[in-house]
Amino acid sequence: MAALYMTNQLITIIYDSQFLKHDTGGGEHPEVAERMQVIENQLRNGALASSLLYEQPQPADRRWLLTFHTEAWLFRFEEATLSGRTYIGHPDNQIGFETYDIALLSAGAGLKGIDLLEQDSAKLVFCTVRPPGHHAEPNVPLGFCFLNNCAIAARYWQQKYKRRKICVFDFDAHHGNGIQAAFEEDAETLYISIHEHPSFSYPGTGFSEEEGTGDGKGTILNIPLLPGAGDEQVIASLESEVEEKLAWFQPDAIIIAAGFDAHRLDDMSGLNYSTDLYHLLGLKIAGWTKKYTEGRLLSILEGGYHLKALPESVEAYLSGLLAEL
Amino acid sequence: MFIHYYMTPSPVTIQAHMYIAEARDLLGHKHFRHLPVVDNDGRLQGMITDRDLRSADPSTVLNADERQRILDRVQKTKVKAIMSTDYLSLKTVSTLDDALLLFEKKPVGALPVLDSAGKVVGIFSLDDLTRAYRSLFGLGEKGSVLIAIENQTDSPSLSRLVQVLEEHNVLFTRLVCSDGKGKEPAMIYLRINTCNIPAVHRAVEKAGFIVHVPMSASQGQPPA
Repeated sequence: MAALYMTNQLITIIYDSQFLKHDTGGGEHPEVAERMQVIENQLRNGALASSLLYEQPQPADRRWLLTFHTEAWLFRFEEATLSGRTYIGHPDNQIGFETYDIALLSAGAGLKGIDLLEQDSAKLVFCTVRPPGHHAEPNVPLGFCFLNNCAIAARYWQQKYKRRKICVFDFDAHHGNGIQAAFEEDAETLYISIHEHPSFSYPGTGFSEEEGTGDGKGTILNIPLLPGAGDEQVIASLESEVEEKLAWFQPDAIIIAAGFDAHRLDDMSGLNYSTDLYHLLGLKIAGWTKKYTEGRLLSILEGGYHLKALPESVEAYLSGLLAEL
Repeated sequence: MFIHYYMTPSPVTIQAHMYIAEARDLLGHKHFRHLPVVDNDGRLQGMITDRDLRSADPSTVLNADERQRILDRVQKTKVKAIMSTDYLSLKTVSTLDDALLLFEKKPVGALPVLDSAGKVVGIFSLDDLTRAYRSLFGLGEKGSVLIAIENQTDSPSLSRLVQVLEEHNVLFTRLVCSDGKGKEPAMIYLRINTCNIPAVHRAVEKAGFIVHVPMSASQGQPPA
């Protein structure tokens, strides 16, 4: 049952302690359960604590997974986890016995958030989830990602609530190749990504020349930044090409692929963002939401691996959203 | 590295006794720019390009009647009159390097590929060359990233590097070196397949290698 929206609780966090059970094997794997815990601690004990409401996700129904993924991949994924394998395809993609079920919950968080927004039971929704999703391809896991949470949420919003034009804005340090794959031939979705230049960064895609194809030509905007780039370059891009593209597209709803690994303390990229930049991103995004989507904004966690910078950046981002909306 | 894998096989051809109008139709409808001219057995006689056709067009300064009259004559002229016979060509066993050197030698956009009897079996364009090197270098390969390591220019360093990668279970698909003799500093470029780049950096640095970071990085400007 959807929680009632309370005026002093403006941010709905969708989270489940099950996310802690996705086992990435220890060692040097950066996508660890502690990421959830540090965000939880920061939000529950920080300045935003009184503004938060918590909701639990439901596992995403298979029909929504199939809006992006193939049956073959879903079977392979489930079978791999149940058979006790430790990774799929590449050691980056570590799995445990419960990973498949947890990935369903992770994908389901966005759908729950959309329901709450559409029922006016939430104003701002942030999904604190793992595993992340934006590298996942229709039938291949990549870069710690198994199910493409943002792409699935976009299709859900379009099909269940008839919000035709969906923009996914991705500020993770890495290009969301899976989201681009979902949208690049589609005129009714827009994917904007600001990321470290693919000549220097995983997954090696996201060149500015990739603009979409066929009916989707012009609906992909990749903004690659050279290693070392920081707040100044991001702000300049937001105020020029990003805002121009949004004005052209006129989205009905916005989904944020919220990755925080471009922070200067996070060694998963060579980018140099400050914590304050995430506050500014929140302000900007809230402004776009007011201008174009009547508040329809969903944020889903992607990357962010530095266990001090991550929670502070999430809090800064949410405070930016809150200040403007 | 053989052009055989990257060329367009069985290209459209024309014969020397055919008319320029037919050549124009072929190039116009098929949206390409190079047409091998062959004899009855398919052996190469010459090459004709869209540029050759444009050169044969009457001048735009002529009045309309005069222009049409000359154009009619051009259309009824045989291909042999304008085809180029000092063409360069590749063989089916030619390599990408051969093609690159020929493209450097003469400013053409495509080269015919001949079998041992001189018959045209393919055509290889500059675009094909670009695509071939893109594929060989793994550009745009999803799930990969290029990292640069300062090259100590001795061969043991390469084998040591490969050993370190294997020991740490780091998958890589390309290894290219620059020797530092040109403008590019001596560098080893590795295309690795992992999102966990910091772990790779730590492993190679621990083995004594220096990971290269672009010099102007802090400014967000292209490396000098």
